[in-house]
Amino acid sequence: MTKRVLKAAFISSLPVLMGYSAMGMAAGILLAGTVKLKFLPFWAFLSSGINISGALQFIMVNWTEALLPLAQVALLTFCLNVRYAMYGFSLIEKFRPLPWLKRCYLIWSLTDETYALEVDSAARTPAGENQLDFCFGVAFLDHLYWIFGVTAGAVIGTALPFDSRGIDFAMTALFLVVLTDQCQSKVNRLSAAVGIISAICGRVFFSTSNMLIPAMVMMGAVFVIFRGKFERRLPQKEECQ
Amino acid sequence: MSREVYFLCMTLVAGVVTIALRAFPFLMFSGNRPVPTVIRYIGRVLPPAAIAMLIVYCYCSAYQGKSFASGGFGVPELAASVLVVALQIWKRNPLLSIIAGTVLYMVIVQNFV
Repeated sequence: MTKRVLKAAFISSLPVLMGYSAMGMAAGILLAGTVKLKFLPFWAFLSSGINISGALQFIMVNWTEALLPLAQVALLTFCLNVRYAMYGFSLIEKFRPLPWLKRCYLIWSLTDETYALEVDSAARTPAGENQLDFCFGVAFLDHLYWIFGVTAGAVIGTALPFDSRGIDFAMTALFLVVLTDQCQSKVNRLSAAVGIISAICGRVFFSTSNMLIPAMVMMGAVFVIFRGKFERRLPQKEECQ
Repeated sequence: MSREVYFLCMTLVAGVVTIALRAFPFLMFSGNRPVPTVIRYIGRVLPPAAIAMLIVYCYCSAYQGKSFASGGFGVPELAASVLVVALQIWKRNPLLSIIAGTVLYMVIVQNFV
C-alpha cells in the first residue's frame, strides 16, 4: 500500500473518526457507568474490537445487566445486524481479486460507514492507485477509531464517574438520523411505516425483550405478500442499498 | 457464571452472529452465481423497516422496568427526537444531530424527570 492511498483513505475516513470516537465514547461511558466488571476497559477493548457494531455496543450493556440468555443474545444480534447481510451483495465482485485473508478482514470489518466508503472507492481512490488498497486502508482506520472511542470512553467513565443517565439516547439518535436520511425516498417511507407498525404490534402482543422477533416475522411477511406493490415503487435503476 | 465470563461469552456469541451476517453474501455467491431477485428485493426494502423497528424498540426499552409516568410520559424522548430529526433535515450533519439530541435528552432526564 502506498502512502498516497493511505492518505486518501485517511482523508475519506475523517468524518468516521469524528463519528466513531463520539459514539464509541458514549457507549464506553455507558458501559462503565452501568455495569460493574473487573478490568472494564479491557472488556470494552475486546468487545469493540471483535464486533465493531455501534448498536450492539450500546445494547450489550442492557444484556449484561440482565444476564440475558445467550440464545436470546444470538437472536437479538441477528435482528439488530441483519442489514449487514445485505451490504456484501454490492461488494462481492469488487472483493473477488483479493487474497483470502485480506478478503476475510474486509468482510469482518464491514460496518455501515465503512461500507459507504467502500462502495464509493472508485471515486475516492487517487488515479493510478489500487481501489482495494483504499478499501483496506479505510476498513483498518475505521476499526481503529471504533476501538479507540469505546476503550477511551470506558477509561474515562471508570476514572471519573459522572452522571451519564440518558447517554443511551445516542443510539436512538443514531437510528433516527439514518432513518431521516433514508426517508427522503418515497418507497423507504413506506418501508419505514411497515417497520413501525410491525414493531408496535410486536410490543402490544409481547414484552419489550421479546418484541423484535415477531416484529421481524411480520415485516418479512408483509414484504413478501406485497412484493409487487413495493417493487413497482422501487427506482428502476439497479442501485444497491 | 461471573459477570466477566458472561460478558466474554456474550461478546463471542454476538461476534459470531455479526460476522456470519457480514459474510453471508460472500459465502452464498462465491462463484459467479447471480443473486436471486427475491434476496435482492428484500435487501432493498428491509433496511428502513429494520431501523424504524429498532427506534420503536429503543423507546420501549427506555420505559422497561419503570412506569410511563415516572419516565416523564414520553416527553424527554419526544423532545429529543424532534430535535434530532429537525437538525438532520436542516443541517444534514449526523454528528451534530446525535450530540445535540443526546445532550438535550440527558439534561431533561437528569434535571426534570
